[in-house]
Amino acid sequence: MRTFLFKRLPSALAVLVAASFTVFLMLRLIPGDPATTLAGPDASPATVAAIRARLGLDAPLAEQYLHWLGQVLSGDLGPSYAIGGQVSELIGDGLAATFQLTVAALLLVVLLAVPTALYAVSARRRGLAGVLRALTTGALAVPPFVTGVVLVLVFAVGLGLLPAGGHASLFDAPDLAVQYLALPALCLALPSAAILARYLQDGLERALGEDYVRTATALGVSRRRILWRHALPNALPPAVTVLGLQIGQLIAGAVVVERIFAWPGLGQLIEQGVSRRDYPVVQDLLLLVVVGYVAVQLLTDLLYSWLDPRVRWE
Amino acid sequence: MTTISSPLLLKAARPRNRYVAGLLTWRGVSGLVLVGTVALAGLLAPWLTDADPNAQGPQALATPSGAHPLGTDDIGRDLLSRILHGILTDLSIILTAVPAGALAGAALALLAGTSRAADLVVQRLFDLVLSFPGLILGLAVTAILGPGRWPVVIIIALAEVPYFGRQLRAGVLVQQEREYALAARVGGASRARVLLRHVLPNAVDPLIVQGAVALSVGVFIEGALSFLGLGVRPPEPTLGSLISGSVAYLDTNPVLAAAPLAVTTALVLGFTLLAEALNRGARG
Repeated sequence: MRTFLFKRLPSALAVLVAASFTVFLMLRLIPGDPATTLAGPDASPATVAAIRARLGLDAPLAEQYLHWLGQVLSGDLGPSYAIGGQVSELIGDGLAATFQLTVAALLLVVLLAVPTALYAVSARRRGLAGVLRALTTGALAVPPFVTGVVLVLVFAVGLGLLPAGGHASLFDAPDLAVQYLALPALCLALPSAAILARYLQDGLERALGEDYVRTATALGVSRRRILWRHALPNALPPAVTVLGLQIGQLIAGAVVVERIFAWPGLGQLIEQGVSRRDYPVVQDLLLLVVVGYVAVQLLTDLLYSWLDPRVRWE
Repeated sequence: MTTISSPLLLKAARPRNRYVAGLLTWRGVSGLVLVGTVALAGLLAPWLTDADPNAQGPQALATPSGAHPLGTDDIGRDLLSRILHGILTDLSIILTAVPAGALAGAALALLAGTSRAADLVVQRLFDLVLSFPGLILGLAVTAILGPGRWPVVIIIALAEVPYFGRQLRAGVLVQQEREYALAARVGGASRARVLLRHVLPNAVDPLIVQGAVALSVGVFIEGALSFLGLGVRPPEPTLGSLISGSVAYLDTNPVLAAAPLAVTTALVLGFTLLAEALNRGARG
């Protein structure tokens, strides 16, 4: 485990440093600087210069970059330019909402995909497997914004079962919060659930064709036990990797889903930051997303090596 | 003689025919029909409707009638005309962006084929682009360039570069070690010539499948950016902006959402079916 970490950590750190550098430089490449935008069209050059000095934008690029890194490492990200408030607080609030949405979606992904794959494999009816395959193809082919609008049309407008959008605190009004959470989480979960179900189904089918399954069958082990105790543990590791990659997709997908369902998460914040040119917010958010993405990939690899001991000593 | 030579000929002619064979399955044909119908409707837009897609009329949110076959939107623009022209916008975007992404990815993959050092740099470059989830990349680009048609093209192209690049790189690595490539080298051909004239033509086939996938991803990205207000500038219609504009009127005017939803679904489903058909064809 330790050797594994030693091998993976440096490359993860390298990606992070490169990403932080890219994010920082990208925002500095923008024509026109935030000081001019903030000062307004009629401001005198002196006002612009004063704002630039206050924001620290008159310092050399290397110094600005190190200052920013220092802020990031200390956790105090300073004030936002245009949205108002401290960046750390803005991100904290958005993160809490997005975290709820992503975790709910992740739960739904597993709850939808694992039974589907197990059922498709154990039912052994060609027609059923075909139908499930067509459904997963459909879920993958249709963009999330299409699914989202269709879900609203059916469940909110047509059936009137669930609210079309909004957000309630999970602690103050749990039942209301779950109602608000249901549609966006389902919308976010469907494509990832389809991918996971497909990988798991393929993995299970491959495992069921192995010699040890034939041996177990010959020894009179029940089909159910073969599926759960022999096929599933062998099909799980690749599926976990896929699930880990999907978490990144969920975070990115949340940006659009939050917009459709008026969910006050990181997606809304990043959109505000971009449209109002609030560079600290955009810069810190982009870095946060990359950090989260890299961390998830690391965790996935660790989990993989725990599920499949052969990977540990590579 | 013919009995001996025909299997050989068949074998040599196989790769391209395989893709054609893939297209002639039910998946391929329905994919072609879906994409073809939508594309044709877009291309024939000027003949199918007289209405200007951006002209505002006196009747807002009108129900379907003779003058407006699908009704009008919230500021009185003809919905049918906006959908047909929206198809054109989407097609022109993805048909610029996907070839551009494929070319850039292929160029980088060939560069990776020249030396181990170049290979390492190119691979890290692909990793870096992939480490930004697609939409985050889009947000970053629009943060720099502002919203508009060209940023959308750039984002789609950029997001596709590593996928095309990785696929071709894998093919180039395999083909470079084959006897014919080594023979060409021994025969005195330069490294660049072997790469371009011998290796590339043999490694390029898998990109066809990737291309079909990329086209549907392009529609995804355009729509997502429109939803975030970072896509093509209004009033120019796109499939994504038509759907995102309809969200406020879902309970009163569902046709405003249903029509562009149906067209978008048909288009992406068509591309997906084509990709699957080509992929199955390639695997024989």
